[in-house]
Amino acid sequence: MSKLGAVVEAVEKHGSFVLEQVKRARSDEKFAQAVTERWNKVKAEIPIAKAPTGLPLPRLALPEIDEPGEIARYLFGDGLPGEFPYLNGAYREMYLEPLREIETGSYGNRKSPNGDSHNGAGRVSRAKIPERPARPPLQEEPTRLFSGLMLAEDTNKRFHFLSAHQRSKRLSTAFDGPTLYGIDSDADGVFGKIGEGGVAVDTVEDVVRLYDGFELGAPNFSASMTISGPAPIIMAMYIAAAKRRFGAKVVPNLRGTIQADIFKEVQAQNETIFPTEASLRFLCDMIEWTTANMPRWYPVSISGYHIGEAGSTPVQQAAYTLSNGFAYAEMLSARGVPIDQFAPRLSFFLDCGLDVEYIALARVSRKIWAIGMRDVFGANARGQMFKLHTQTSGRSLIAAEFKNNLTRTAAELMLAYMNATNSCHSNSADEPFTTPSEEWIRLAAHGQAILLEESGIFKHTMNMLSGSPGMKAVERAVEKAILDEFREIESLGGVLAAVENRYQRSQIQNAAHRYEQQIYDGTRPIVGLNRYRNGADEMPEIELVRTPRAKQNLQVERLKKFKKKNAEKSKGALDKLGAVVERGKNCFPALLEAVEVCSLGQITGRLQEIVGRFRPMV
Amino acid sequence: MALPIRILTAVPICDGHDSAINTINLEFIRHGIEVVYLGFHRYVSDIVRAAIQEDVAAIGISSYNGGHIDFFADVVSQLKKKGANDIAVFGGGGGTITHDDARQMKHKGVDEIFFAGTSLTEMAEYVKKHYGKKKKRRMKSKPDLVLARKLTELEEAAGKKAKHRTPNSEHRTSKVIGFTGPGGAGKTTLIDELVLRFLQRDRKTRIAVLSHDPSVIGEGALLGDRATMINSQDDRVFMRSMATRGQAGGLSPATESCLALLAHSGFDYVIIETVGTGQEALPFRNKLVDQTVLVMNPDYGARLQLQKIVMLDVADIVVVNKTDLERAKAALSEIQQRLTQNKRKQEIVATVAKRHRDPGVDELFELITKENT
Repeated sequence: MSKLGAVVEAVEKHGSFVLEQVKRARSDEKFAQAVTERWNKVKAEIPIAKAPTGLPLPRLALPEIDEPGEIARYLFGDGLPGEFPYLNGAYREMYLEPLREIETGSYGNRKSPNGDSHNGAGRVSRAKIPERPARPPLQEEPTRLFSGLMLAEDTNKRFHFLSAHQRSKRLSTAFDGPTLYGIDSDADGVFGKIGEGGVAVDTVEDVVRLYDGFELGAPNFSASMTISGPAPIIMAMYIAAAKRRFGAKVVPNLRGTIQADIFKEVQAQNETIFPTEASLRFLCDMIEWTTANMPRWYPVSISGYHIGEAGSTPVQQAAYTLSNGFAYAEMLSARGVPIDQFAPRLSFFLDCGLDVEYIALARVSRKIWAIGMRDVFGANARGQMFKLHTQTSGRSLIAAEFKNNLTRTAAELMLAYMNATNSCHSNSADEPFTTPSEEWIRLAAHGQAILLEESGIFKHTMNMLSGSPGMKAVERAVEKAILDEFREIESLGGVLAAVENRYQRSQIQNAAHRYEQQIYDGTRPIVGLNRYRNGADEMPEIELVRTPRAKQNLQVERLKKFKKKNAEKSKGALDKLGAVVERGKNCFPALLEAVEVCSLGQITGRLQEIVGRFRPMV
Repeated sequence: MALPIRILTAVPICDGHDSAINTINLEFIRHGIEVVYLGFHRYVSDIVRAAIQEDVAAIGISSYNGGHIDFFADVVSQLKKKGANDIAVFGGGGGTITHDDARQMKHKGVDEIFFAGTSLTEMAEYVKKHYGKKKKRRMKSKPDLVLARKLTELEEAAGKKAKHRTPNSEHRTSKVIGFTGPGGAGKTTLIDELVLRFLQRDRKTRIAVLSHDPSVIGEGALLGDRATMINSQDDRVFMRSMATRGQAGGLSPATESCLALLAHSGFDYVIIETVGTGQEALPFRNKLVDQTVLVMNPDYGARLQLQKIVMLDVADIVVVNKTDLERAKAALSEIQQRLTQNKRKQEIVATVAKRHRDPGVDELFELITKENT
């Protein structure tokens, strides 16, 4: 049995544990009293804050229950926000406005005696009723907008434009096609792709330009990079660029995320360049190095987004993402990396579309992850938390009457925040046509501000929309379906074996085909496409973001200059890297040296000579 | 009966968006079209080479990652440069290709761009309407072009059951190796790994690969072997994908004549791959090939099943692939045992074809090349 089978058992066991507690609360008077006392204490400590209209509201909404069995079901089965199994949120207050004045209670101030330092803080023994953990120290805006266009300096300008008014600078970087495939801009046949759909990066010098003007080691700065196939090389470039600007002492302070999710590339997105096993090895090399040397970095973002966008059902998306996450945890553990070194550094990325499952998909994912990490992998509380970035669904946006995409994205944002995502990207309405223009990306960013700042939905009360009967029904159905998927993968020999047998790929493709079929036969309504069509199919006048030829030429020129300047040194660095890879050692330190003098394509090329190229699956 | 229309579909370099093309491929097949699918992340040169070798009527490109104006134009101009301007180019990219882009692309020689919202049937009807005409003979042209067109003529002749003079196998100039075995055993991957070794050992070696996928007479087929091949996209490799067009047994009605032609066309080796075969299959009759390789999966079921696989009696080399699977050890010894009954010289090789530089594939390569070097 792989660990995935053990996770299924653990989730089932947790289910029966909760039922036992319910029974016990109904039969054991002492326990019932303890449960009720805890409940009353939590309720008494909830501060009341006033909405701008003067309406008093509690900072935390709880179900109106007073029967000990039901209280036990809630506390053990769902958990308060920031409490195992984290169904209602990984953290305690999420998007709430900072407390200005506390009307009653001491909820926001009290230090919990039960920090998250000891192993298994979330493990609830039969007798102990959990205390509330301390609230996280830093409040950051959850808005994180993905951008990347043309050359490094153009993306840099966009980054400054987007983050100008934010107290925290949270950048998210999109790379162009050649970079995603580890190919240099001067390679034969890629010229037209330079700077399209993302920023062109060939060398460490490009990365220096890309984040110019931002203080990379600052506590309010974090960078996210969406790249997987060549992720270890780009990660090394980022570190090298930070060192060039701020010296070696900056490395432990670097904050951010690199996607680096190889499984979902092989399952769905197809941007992988080495054979799966070699890719996983390079990935683990990087995770091992960064978790030891950059304790604030997230070296892998386990992503369902691309699985969803490739056409999976929401359940498949969550099931494959979670099982991929457990597979990484199993691999890193097998390598001997301590669980508490890497588990808190795993983060997740899910899609949010308009299907009904999205009402609770992330909530259930958070719960399954917490149980698996605690009970199967023995992770501490921080390692049990499913830290989630969400993006609204790109696939749900359509070209016909494209302004409707604003409404679609708004509805998806609502669902994403109902699921207590930790950060979120809202798509621009013009994305069916182009890399977002400033006009539409601004509207996308403002959509989040309107929801979180203007509206009172999420800022006064935690759990504002959690736990309705409908949401519970979706949770139960989704959880069952995810566990069924786990069993299927387990029966195929675990995640890696299932990947090699193309199981996830074919399931996703089948779902995609069904989705298209439903659009064509009208059973899946799409406004403006198969319903309420206005007849005029003309494309709207929109501003297209395309990379001018002169810029593409400039990128090639820069790269050629870099290669010429480093011609001698790059040979030595590549040989050294090659030797380390041949010997089977952790190659990340050698990558850090190589990126100083070698381009992305030179490094990819050398690695492919040794480990081979990815063989596409169809 | 009219012969199926053949087209090639692909996704450009640095683009992994294959969801749309997968759906479109299935629709084309449903409409009776033979689709050679080259896969995603493909260079212009790979697309053009494949289109010429496969002698398709048109190339359909699905592009979602930008740079489409340059890419499509490059395909058209490279086709022209190679003398294959009779091969048409069409494609789409959802909303990423604007009407204005499409105008520019058409100006540069692209036939048609489909926009978001076009129905699948509409695309298939377009292909049937525009690319169904009979091909003209190409005589005074580049060798690949001529060879490709001659193969098409042989396929047409076989379809009409017309007699076609086939060159005598006695006078072959290439060594012909036949690969067969059940579906999913890894034949295509194994061949692709062997091709890498051929190309690396000798800078002059030229290889032809004749691969087969099943189809019903008069209907479409997905010819998808190229999509998973990475080493065979090379100017020294001539590959042709054939649909069986209703013939049982693993090969097409035209295989024999096509093979004979290829074996006289200056290749050092001609590799032929059957469709996935059943236990009773004996695809290579009449000295069709010089050497037969049976590729097996360790998961063949009970030991008794081995008695029923007739190819085990006649194969020169039995490859047990995927020997990284748990079942492999037992499978190897059971197959070894089964071969000793035959009392003739047969080789058995254990491979993991998916692994780069697999020593088992090296061993197979030596067995295949030893008489010829």
